[in-house]
Amino acid sequence: MQEPNLIYLKASQVTKYFESGSRRVEVLRDLSFEISSGQSLAIIGPSGSGKSTLLHLLGTLDRPSAGTITLEEVNPLHLSEPELAKFRNQTIGFVFQEHHLLPQYSVLENALLPAFAFGKCDTAVMAHARELLQRVGLAHRLEHFPAELSGGERQRVAVARALINRPRLLLCDEPTGNLDRTTALSVAALLFELHKEQNNILIIVTHSAELASRCERRYELREGACFAV
Amino acid sequence: MLRSLKYYWRIQLAVMLGAATATAVLTGALLVGDSVRGSLRDLTLDRLGRIDYAVLSENLFREDLARDLSARPEYSARFDTAASALLLSGTAIQAATQSRATGVNICGADEQFVALFEASPDSLMQQLTRKSGQPFPSVIINAALQQELNAKVGDEILLAFKSYSEIPRASLLGSKETDDVLESMRLTITHILPNRGLGRFGLRPQQHLPRNAFVLLPTLQHALGQEGKVNAMLVAAKGASEIHKASSIPPLRGVLLDTTKVQNLKNTPPAPLKGGVLDVLSQSLQTAWQLEDLGLRLQSYASFFSLTSRELILKPSVVGLAQTIARDLQLSTQPILTYLANTMAAHGRMVPYSTITALPTPVPALFGSLQLREGVAAPRLEDDEVLLNEWAAQELQATVGDTVLASYYVVGAREELTTQTHALRVRGIVQQKGLAADRSLTPPIPGVENAEDMQAWEPPFPVDLKLIRPQDEVYWDEHGATPKAFVNDSTGRRLWRSRFGEVSAIRFAANGDEDPAAVPAEFAKRLLAASTPEAAGFNLQSVKSQGMQSAAGATDFGMLFIGFSIFLIASATLLLGMLFRLGAEQRAREVGTLLAVGYSLRNVRGRLFKEGMFVALLGTILGTLGALAYAWLVMIGLRTWWVEAVGTSFLFLHVTPASLIIGALCALVIIALAIWWAVRQLGKIPATALLRGVTQNAERTPIRYARMVAMSASALAMLLLFVALAMDSASSAGLFFGSGALFLIAGLGLLSMRLRQRRTGAIVTTRLAMSARNNARNPGRSMLSAALVSCACFIIVAVGANRREFGREALQKNSGTGGFALMAESDAPLYHNLDSVAGRAALGFAEEDSSLFHDTKIFPLRLLPGEDASCLNLYQPQKPRVLGVTRELIARGGFQFHATSRDSATNAWRLLETELEPNVIPAIGDFNSVQWILHLGLGKDLVMQNERGEELRLRFVGLLQSSIFQSELLISEENFLKHFPGQSGYSYFLIATPPDSAARLSQALESALHRYGFDAASTIAKLASFQAVENTYLSVFQTIGGLGLLLGTLGLGLILVRNVIERRGELATLRAFGFLQAVLMKMLLLENSFLLLWGILIGSGAALLAVAPHLVRAGALLPWLSLCLTLLLVFLAGFLASVVAFKVAAHAPLLPALKEE
Repeated sequence: MQEPNLIYLKASQVTKYFESGSRRVEVLRDLSFEISSGQSLAIIGPSGSGKSTLLHLLGTLDRPSAGTITLEEVNPLHLSEPELAKFRNQTIGFVFQEHHLLPQYSVLENALLPAFAFGKCDTAVMAHARELLQRVGLAHRLEHFPAELSGGERQRVAVARALINRPRLLLCDEPTGNLDRTTALSVAALLFELHKEQNNILIIVTHSAELASRCERRYELREGACFAV
Repeated sequence: MLRSLKYYWRIQLAVMLGAATATAVLTGALLVGDSVRGSLRDLTLDRLGRIDYAVLSENLFREDLARDLSARPEYSARFDTAASALLLSGTAIQAATQSRATGVNICGADEQFVALFEASPDSLMQQLTRKSGQPFPSVIINAALQQELNAKVGDEILLAFKSYSEIPRASLLGSKETDDVLESMRLTITHILPNRGLGRFGLRPQQHLPRNAFVLLPTLQHALGQEGKVNAMLVAAKGASEIHKASSIPPLRGVLLDTTKVQNLKNTPPAPLKGGVLDVLSQSLQTAWQLEDLGLRLQSYASFFSLTSRELILKPSVVGLAQTIARDLQLSTQPILTYLANTMAAHGRMVPYSTITALPTPVPALFGSLQLREGVAAPRLEDDEVLLNEWAAQELQATVGDTVLASYYVVGAREELTTQTHALRVRGIVQQKGLAADRSLTPPIPGVENAEDMQAWEPPFPVDLKLIRPQDEVYWDEHGATPKAFVNDSTGRRLWRSRFGEVSAIRFAANGDEDPAAVPAEFAKRLLAASTPEAAGFNLQSVKSQGMQSAAGATDFGMLFIGFSIFLIASATLLLGMLFRLGAEQRAREVGTLLAVGYSLRNVRGRLFKEGMFVALLGTILGTLGALAYAWLVMIGLRTWWVEAVGTSFLFLHVTPASLIIGALCALVIIALAIWWAVRQLGKIPATALLRGVTQNAERTPIRYARMVAMSASALAMLLLFVALAMDSASSAGLFFGSGALFLIAGLGLLSMRLRQRRTGAIVTTRLAMSARNNARNPGRSMLSAALVSCACFIIVAVGANRREFGREALQKNSGTGGFALMAESDAPLYHNLDSVAGRAALGFAEEDSSLFHDTKIFPLRLLPGEDASCLNLYQPQKPRVLGVTRELIARGGFQFHATSRDSATNAWRLLETELEPNVIPAIGDFNSVQWILHLGLGKDLVMQNERGEELRLRFVGLLQSSIFQSELLISEENFLKHFPGQSGYSYFLIATPPDSAARLSQALESALHRYGFDAASTIAKLASFQAVENTYLSVFQTIGGLGLLLGTLGLGLILVRNVIERRGELATLRAFGFLQAVLMKMLLLENSFLLLWGILIGSGAALLAVAPHLVRAGALLPWLSLCLTLLLVFLAGFLASVVAFKVAAHAPLLPALKEE
């Protein structure tokens, strides 16, 4: 069941620079955009253009040097660290190029990981995890360990893990970067399918034009600036 | 290679430091062994000066024997002039303050003796000489005695010591009165010697400082009433012995490198006790000595000559030898035993104090006629028949066939006199002429022989002078001590033999026409030649080589410290292996690339190994220097903090190149193995994985291996446990320890199983469960962490459990004190029963003292002086102290036995009464001393010589558990007297008294018996002194083990840092999902806490099992509190390492980790 398009992400004049000795390297400059729930956005650009930096800023993993980012009208920069962590846990989901599955946990346990961040997971969460894993086609692999999975299967577990807390914002950093084309297509299809189902905001950082083309909106980052494509 | 080393210099430096640590500890431990041995050798050379050999005797011999000996050509070819000395032991009392020192070595010295230590003895001899106006003779004392007496030059001291008695004090004719038993002299201190050289002189190997007092030889001889007599000759090898030449080089205190020359000389195996040079000395002695030196007298009479002893009784060995020589010379012999009957009674009449002579009958005419009143020769006497002389027969109105009751003293078990009466049937009456009128049949009885009349007798035994009648005085006036009766030799032996012998004289008569003057001379010559020094009571000792041999020590400190340092070495090696592995892991991509471009695995491994070994070699060189510092520090520790373990502060660093080389090579081999293991592990990872930077082998060790290890170790541990429980012997402790160690392995196996177990069904739903599961991420590392902790805990608990304190519970009868509150020793033996009112009165106790002895029971023991067999003596004892246990004490039992040769549920002390083979006697010793100092065990024999010079084997039939008898061995009094008959009196006492009155009693005994050098001590204090050594060793172990733990913790920290670094991506992901930094830290700490707890539980549990026999023993108290605190510290140290590791890792930026691992 889709929710109304009320939730939105707003970036206003976001600037990010890094100090290197006496030098200041500006990665992002006065970047602004808005996106509502149910929408998908691809960020493309050459290596070093600041794609991942932008994603980390949107995911509240990093702070902008200037400008604001609000999600559901909440500015995460105003939150304390515990509040921010909780906000991130409950609002944002991540899928990375490296799956970062924990090798000592089974598929089901990996999918459940975000649910442990603020306590014990209950049976409803467990059922949701099973459902998600079923959705990603791994119902028969619940008790398997990451070492026993293929690259595509691992990334699908990562997708299920990202969605376990029903995030309103799903951030994907090169989610198919390490996959062959067939597997990449399959993972991409899954991502968009679940995005539609959950009506969240999907932002994908990618080099893949094919993946980017599936998003409703596309921005290209060049020399710190953002251009709609 | 050099470029690689330069590029990765940080990790290579860490590897080098790890190698240096392992080398320093291993080589340092060997150097500690060198240093203890070297220091003990230095002490030996110091205390003996130029003395190489000693000729010692229980009896006194002529001072001139040394001169006679020196004149023998075979002697002078090998030895320098012998120095005579009187060596006594006694008590010193500061006259003004009455402060007292027991166990003082009193030495009567002359110039030749002093010259053995001093190049120019004149100044010391002047100090020993009494100055005009000086009230008392001079005495020189050493600083140790000065310190104990708190005396200074010019002060007066009293020296009290055992007086010399030619007649055994335990015999009827030996005096036992305090004034006769003890001598004392008042002296003025004229000089104080430092505690080195002459000041440290002592023939017995011991590291403790002796308390020495030197007096001019004639002064001491005069005090002893034995002018011209000595009991020791000290001999230096011709020129200077090789050993002494080495000793002339200044001591190597603090010098880092010894010279090879000195060390080689010091390492030269000492000459054997017998054989070689000692034989030459023995032969020279046999040619130089005279009968007087052997305590014998040969006296010629008209038709015969007589052999007698100064002891008034001839030793059986002398009798046997004399009879053999007599047979060779075809001489007739007449062994005589004359004894004193207190009374002879018949028909209601009584004759007091008569001597009766036992001799073979009929008497050959050669020895004088023994004629009956009827004018015929006296017939052969049957047993219990007696011939009375006419005077006695008349006095008793006795005729042939009458029964005469002879009453006489016999010496009882406690050397007390008891009266026995024996009925003798009168076979005839002999005329008082010929042999029957021979006064010389009676030996000269002290206090009697020169008495004007019988009323003036002052014999060493009690006499009732009221019994003496006028006619007895008349007989005395006319015939002196001439025997009044005769019995045959077998009756005499049966009634009056003693442990000292059964013949008071042997008469010899030539059967032919030999020159009457030549025969005794020939006999004497042969007797002197046939006597051996051992049989004659001389003890020839190769003191210097024995001392050097003993200096090897009862304990190999090198091995001991390797044992102490094993955990430190293991930690350093593990750490080094791990550091190298981490270094190699940093280069995983490099290794992968090399493999990918065609280098063989062997080649790549070889490159890494060579690099590692180059670094290790540098580390080993550095570690060798570190070893010197380590050993130097340990020696400082042994001289100061741990001095209780060694009892001397004269231990200094000694270094042998061999130890340096062996230590470095051993360390290098261990390091090479660790590096090889690390290289091999990396080589197991496929090149493709290495190229991706993967450093863990995806193929985990199958769980079945862990299961196999856990199950087989558990099974073996259980088996050992059952065997140990079934056994009640010394080996059970070893089995328990082995079982504990196996349980440790089993526990670690179980943990490994758990870590490698594939979890199905059980889903992690909490952070706690997450933490537990995280340990399975890298089972090898988790195992290494747990193993480090568990080994540390195993050692901590096992060592801590052995640390003991003694309270009043240690006064139970079945404890190490045997229920005795006090134990005591006296410098001079006591001949009166301290446990009886009469005995105490004879010893000078007043009547009012009797209340002190209420509820008190004193058990005396005989003491054969010797070397301390306990852990208090660093030297290897060659001749340990021996105690003779009385029947009364055997019957009482008590103490706790560690093991016995056979089941003796009632009283294991009875085993001392077991009959074994000839010259093998049962003995009991303390387990600690027998096992660790003498290196023997139950059923094993300690070989020593008895008083007759025969080999005597002490077979251990029982081993006591942590008892007060750690310094000596115990045999039955019966066997003691059989083999050491010359050791009369009692010098060792066990006193059972209520603990509350022990201090008062101790003070009273020491005060009343101060002249005897009576020194009482609390048994608990004695046990504590032994335990202090053990506890100090445990402290050393714990200190060095603590360093190991520190290193282990460092290793643990490194493992954790590595873990966190490896898991950066994982942790960054978790943070991205909203895990707080604090939560992640908690999780990591929980993870490590699990491992710590596992390690602590496995290690402590296994250790408790290993020390189970110790725990179930009565009186053993596990110091739970201190152990729990220590384990808590281990946990906290590990926990702290986790915190530091996390903090270090948390500094690394997390975001890049999300991009790549």
